[in-house]
Amino acid sequence: MHEKKHSLRGVFVNGILNENPTFRLVLGVCPTLASTTSATNGLGMGLAATFVLLGSNVVISLLRNIIPDKVRIPAFIVVISTFVTIIQMLIQAFVPALYDALGLFIPLIVVNCIILARAEAFAAKYSVLLSAADGLGMGLGFTGALILIGSIREMIGSGTIFGNALFGASFEPMLLVTMAPGGFIVFGLILGIINTVTERVSKRKGAQAS
Amino acid sequence: MNLRLSTGPHFVSRESTQTLMLDVIIALIPTTAAGIYLFGTKAAWVLAAAVITAVACEYIFQKLAKRPVRVTDLSAVVTGLLVGLNMPAEAPLWLPAIGSAIAILLVKELFGGIGHNFLNPALLARGILLASWPARMSVYFMPVRLLGNTSAIPAGVDAVSSATPLIRPGGYEIYDLLLGNIPGTIGEVCKIAILIGFLYMLFVGTIKWHIPVLFVGTVALITWITGGDVLKAVLSGGLLFGAVFMATDYVTNPMLFTGQVIFAIGCGVIVAVVRMTKAYPEEGVTFAILLMNILTPLIDRMTSRKVYGTVKQHA
Amino acid sequence: MKFSFKGGIHPLKEQHEGKMPSREQAIKDFVAEKVLIPMDMHIGAPSEPCVKKGDKVLLGQVIATPVGKFGIPVHASVSGEVTGVVSFQQLGKKPSMCVEITSDGRDEWVELNPLGEVEAAPRERIIQQVKDAGICGLGGACFPTHIKMSPADNQKVDIVILNGAECETFLTADYRLMLEEPEHIVDGLRAIMRAMNVQKGIIAIEDNKKEAIRSMEQAVQGREGIRVVTLKTKYPQGGEKQLIESVTKRQVPSGGLPGDIGVAVFNVGTAAAIADAVIYGKPLVSRITTVTGCVRAPSNLRLRIGTSFQDAIDAAGGFSEEPGKVFAGGSMTGIAIPDTGVSVIKANNGIVVLNQKDAIKKPETSCIRCGRCIDACPIKLSPQRLNVLVDQADLSGAKKHHVMDCIVCGSCSYVCPAKIELCAKFKEAKEKITARRI
Repeated sequence: MHEKKHSLRGVFVNGILNENPTFRLVLGVCPTLASTTSATNGLGMGLAATFVLLGSNVVISLLRNIIPDKVRIPAFIVVISTFVTIIQMLIQAFVPALYDALGLFIPLIVVNCIILARAEAFAAKYSVLLSAADGLGMGLGFTGALILIGSIREMIGSGTIFGNALFGASFEPMLLVTMAPGGFIVFGLILGIINTVTERVSKRKGAQAS
Repeated sequence: MNLRLSTGPHFVSRESTQTLMLDVIIALIPTTAAGIYLFGTKAAWVLAAAVITAVACEYIFQKLAKRPVRVTDLSAVVTGLLVGLNMPAEAPLWLPAIGSAIAILLVKELFGGIGHNFLNPALLARGILLASWPARMSVYFMPVRLLGNTSAIPAGVDAVSSATPLIRPGGYEIYDLLLGNIPGTIGEVCKIAILIGFLYMLFVGTIKWHIPVLFVGTVALITWITGGDVLKAVLSGGLLFGAVFMATDYVTNPMLFTGQVIFAIGCGVIVAVVRMTKAYPEEGVTFAILLMNILTPLIDRMTSRKVYGTVKQHA
Repeated sequence: MKFSFKGGIHPLKEQHEGKMPSREQAIKDFVAEKVLIPMDMHIGAPSEPCVKKGDKVLLGQVIATPVGKFGIPVHASVSGEVTGVVSFQQLGKKPSMCVEITSDGRDEWVELNPLGEVEAAPRERIIQQVKDAGICGLGGACFPTHIKMSPADNQKVDIVILNGAECETFLTADYRLMLEEPEHIVDGLRAIMRAMNVQKGIIAIEDNKKEAIRSMEQAVQGREGIRVVTLKTKYPQGGEKQLIESVTKRQVPSGGLPGDIGVAVFNVGTAAAIADAVIYGKPLVSRITTVTGCVRAPSNLRLRIGTSFQDAIDAAGGFSEEPGKVFAGGSMTGIAIPDTGVSVIKANNGIVVLNQKDAIKKPETSCIRCGRCIDACPIKLSPQRLNVLVDQADLSGAKKHHVMDCIVCGSCSYVCPAKIELCAKFKEAKEKITARRI
């Protein structure tokens, strides 16, 4: 029943564009808002989530015929939390600044909807290679979105990008943007722009086709 | 003979959105004039920046979004004026400009244009500016010229920020509070000018008395119960300006009389509580009105009138 | 003491509701050379013509017989020859069957069967006389009067009210009638009260018609059970529901009829027509219509039923400038006509001509939730909320919010600063709800 023909490349690109977890599926918004206070934080969170996504997708796909259906969610969580624990220890050891910046949100990757959603919707049904491609695509799509939002919020809210000052000393940053309300507003505006643009592009494509 | 076929009524009231907005602008003239006199030409520039940006943003957005261009209904002018009057006179011109842009683009146009905003545009813009540039927005300067025969001292050449009357309510005379010889934003200081505007709007029928009166009255009542100085409390800060010009915005307050009473009293309670507990050094008028704006759809759903024919008869 | 209701508006207040041009014009008779009488002037099935082309008819002769429960006969409004039985597009949705009569100038009455003075007229015969005279509500609705005078068994009418409010703008026909023929109106009221066995009769008049109040008060002197009541001038005071609420403090139940609360309301013109029918045996062949606006001689004309609008306007001196819009009725609920060939019907109380400038409407803009419509609505509806529901095509939601109780008075549209056509939207919504039985 779910033996659709998927190509590795198709699945990978799908996670970045068509079904971008942040801008199309709108999943994992909580860590999105929390970690996009700067571009660096966004990048860090994104890569950490990608690692977990990749790992959990592969393992769950390997075990997909063994895990009984009734206990699949707890089983997935165990797998996911294993990888989260690994990456948490790695970050704590090698990038302590990022560990401090992201704080509680690293262990919260366990309940990041994206990871559980992909486990349930993809890794539990498809082969290991396809699941890996999906995990990587979704993760990179997530990372890209986080960097985009993080950069904008950092530029307006702190006047820097990846920690480097952009404007002169006379720039007075808009403090609200680095706070939660500002995060919502920026995220909403970007979502609105993306929706408008995709709608116009598909309308033009539709007009060309007909 | 070419006869027009249209549905009745064939004569309608001469009032239009434009005439209503124009009456609000006229009501704001005393406050604007007082503000410019008290704070000097800097204030005039701030107001100009706010109004021009507001009108320009609305025009550009409506053109880009292919909606009918309606800047002539003067609602953008009113929003711009209100944004500007809520600024301190020393604000750098980009501040009111950004405020106007936020008010028009974010709060009004993105939600569907006039009539569709769920929060007061000028007030939400002010709230966003307060949170974004607290250093710029929460400083209050003494006027450079004073009104009337007062013993207050105007600001010197280098205007230094002073405590808002709220922080030092005892420190200002009733006379000064009324005339505006106190630190504050451009529009909120001269209470007499605000009252003149209020009476004008009542006279021409733009607004009704109950929202401002009940709002201020609730604050007065709670202040009196808790043993504060009622007159000074009522005349301090942005209470009168907010009650007369912001809480009476048609779009964001409830439709029925009972709803509006709830709204006004709610605003008053929040302001009184914020002031009593000093929860926010900047007073609560902005947030009180915004919070009640958010509750307005709920209030509308809870209030209703008995339709003719559904009233139980006493046979 | 002046009576009133909550809500309502004062349309054209500065121009005295547009009544000044025709207020002092005494009623003038006008007999057209040709009349085109529709068969469907009343609420109910159209009457069946009983004459054909070439027939000679006398004034007051029956030219169409009633059909169905709500049917009333139609009478020739001039004496002469039937020059056609044709289908003609009047102001309805579909063309109407009409009888065209060319006058022979003689104005000869058919044989009449009067019942005599009101006290002498047999009680049971009055209602049949009213039906035979083809009388329906002349205030605008044209509901068959004999049906209104025969309420159902569960409706015990104890008050009859004559509607002398004439709250609509531009109209002065009822005012002049009350000034010039007050006894006639009172005779009609007495006939109604006698036929319906009602002891209390009230004639309600707005206070901008002080001379009419005086005139009617004189006419009811000595008449038992009848008095004149003054109403505060407000629109829509003459609306049946508002009139009843102001005079009796009772409210017609939602979805119900005045008979449910023991009240029957008749227009003063209808009462005068009843007096004509009972005392003189004359059927309804004419009515008083205010022709005003951009005409050279604004007048209150007694027009024969079926007179064309063009003839009526010419009788009022013709157009004084290039017309932009002509509507039948007052400016609040009047219907704009496509051309002046349509006929004056039984319920036609006004013909108003607007010039090109006044005919232009301001474009609709967005609702700003100002609430003026809510203050104006005499039924205490929320036109703002109904507007949102109708725009979303949520007809069952609109019904839940009582759009069916809307009396389509136009007060909300009048006050709306955004110029939203609220009244027209609700009228259409009501029609759709009825048609689709939502």
